[in-house]
Amino acid sequence: MDGGLTQAESRELDARIQKRQVKEFMNVFGNLVDNCFTSCVDDFTSKALSGRENGCLSRCVLKSMTTQTRLGERFGELNAAMTAEMQQKMR
Amino acid sequence: MSFLGFGRPQPTSAEKIAAVENELKVVAEMHSRMVKICTLKCIDKTYREGELAKGEAVCLDRCAAKFFEAHQKISDQLQKETQAQQAGRGGGFGMQ
Repeated sequence: MDGGLTQAESRELDARIQKRQVKEFMNVFGNLVDNCFTSCVDDFTSKALSGRENGCLSRCVLKSMTTQTRLGERFGELNAAMTAEMQQKMR
Repeated sequence: MSFLGFGRPQPTSAEKIAAVENELKVVAEMHSRMVKICTLKCIDKTYREGELAKGEAVCLDRCAAKFFEAHQKISDQLQKETQAQQAGRGGGFGMQ
């Protein structure tokens, strides 16, 4: 999918993609914090994370990472299949 | 394919880059929506375990497949409806 870009153009595209990836990572990180915090922390009688909350947060991070990986694999497969199908239809 | 663009001005560099970038953005957005939704539908929020349970893993796989199928179905249907609507309006019966 180079779309007939010149070398300079594809360098510019790479730079933009890199910027996007940084943003994307911050987004994923933010969602992870929000999701795990919401799921694990609901007791505000103390300002420190309790042992239970701490454990829950680490399990949440672990599980979310496995989830991300697994869904990433499925997404890759399904997206490739969908793209192939669309290209076939266009011919 | 460039001969199909006959008579059209050549896209500028910025336009070409934006087109590819946009395509990537659409895919990236679909990916992050899918992760959010399938996590919500499949993952037990108590986090008593740090590992994916078998049932959750299977649920994620099915959720991903269904998400794509739904995406395809809705996009096809929307396209059909829009075309039908445009054909109806283009029929030229003078109705608004």
